[in-house]
Amino acid sequence: MPFSTIATPEAKPVANYKMATRMEGGRLLYISGQVAWDASGAIVGKGDARAQARQVLQNMRGVLQAAGGDLDNLMKITTYITKIEDRPAVAEARNEVFSGELPASTLIVVKKLFHPDFLVEIEGVAAV
Amino acid sequence: MDRREMLAERPVERGRGFMPGVSINPSRVLFTAGLTGRGQDGKIVSGGMGPQTQRTFERLQAILGRAGARFDDVVKQLVYVTDVDAYNATGRAARGKFFGNARPASTGLVVRRLAEADILVEVELVVDLGGSPQGKPLLEKYNVEDHSGEFYQGVIVNGGRLIYLAGQVANEPDGSVARPGDWRRQAEKVYENIGHVLRAAGATPASVVKETTWVLSIDAWREHRTPIRRAFYKSDVPASTLVEIPGLAHPDYLVEIEVIAAIT
Repeated sequence: MPFSTIATPEAKPVANYKMATRMEGGRLLYISGQVAWDASGAIVGKGDARAQARQVLQNMRGVLQAAGGDLDNLMKITTYITKIEDRPAVAEARNEVFSGELPASTLIVVKKLFHPDFLVEIEGVAAV
Repeated sequence: MDRREMLAERPVERGRGFMPGVSINPSRVLFTAGLTGRGQDGKIVSGGMGPQTQRTFERLQAILGRAGARFDDVVKQLVYVTDVDAYNATGRAARGKFFGNARPASTGLVVRRLAEADILVEVELVVDLGGSPQGKPLLEKYNVEDHSGEFYQGVIVNGGRLIYLAGQVANEPDGSVARPGDWRRQAEKVYENIGHVLRAAGATPASVVKETTWVLSIDAWREHRTPIRRAFYKSDVPASTLVEIPGLAHPDYLVEIEVIAAIT
């Protein structure tokens, strides 16, 4: 991968993610906040954060593949959820698709997303 | 310019004026602070979401212009609003006048509060400047307006290696949370952790390009952050955004800060 992973014993991640990543080459890819809509724009998994997170990650993978990469090209993700109670379900969906540790990661509980049915949105930055 | 747009025909993003993904050769990249609808008198313009959005993009246009860029060069936008219905009603159209057919990657969030209670919208951009970084300093930090905030409105990275940090929280090396409820201690701990991670990446506080601070209370944060943040950055501050949200990953976290840095 065209980036390296930064770790230090003095400040460790609180979950399964990288503390920082440093780009070492390649192209910089910014991925829009992905939400749980399918190719037609219909919402997948209404009321179900786990199902939505799976669709979100599938959509994100589609963007990465279009850029010639895949999920392991991600340097950083930011996950926005609307309810803290959904955190475990979203974390499970993420752990299903990432083979090892996640990229550098931030999780934020926002007031709402741009559509009332969206429960989770994930954006990413990748080196491809 | 060497811009590639991913899945440009995907209908849902196309209909909403953005792009699923945009890649660039990061030779020269501009990061803006979060900008708002502040008028020349320093006050938020009157008239609500439409005029605020208009003013926000006028100010961003000036920041882009200083770097020789246009809205077509925007790689990513992050739009924070406090009222999504108002944004859809009047803000979106005001934004559209600046972007025309240009479509950046985009994230839109509804947050609890922005820097001041009457701010309805705030926007930050990542911009591809293209060209050769040769002969330029690694970071060019600038303002296009006088302002009292301790941040720069634009920071250009010339040919550096970008470093993306995970959001940093007030956790101790054993994973416990530093002093639940104590804003001052959490602020110290978060900046201490940022310092450790930057050092491990071969960077320093002066390497920071962009800072996004997520807090449960802007008022409480402002009361405690200033001496700690000054001690960390000295006067070499980054572009920044401050956002109030209802929650973070752990109920005891009061603040989370994510930074992007660059080294040669």
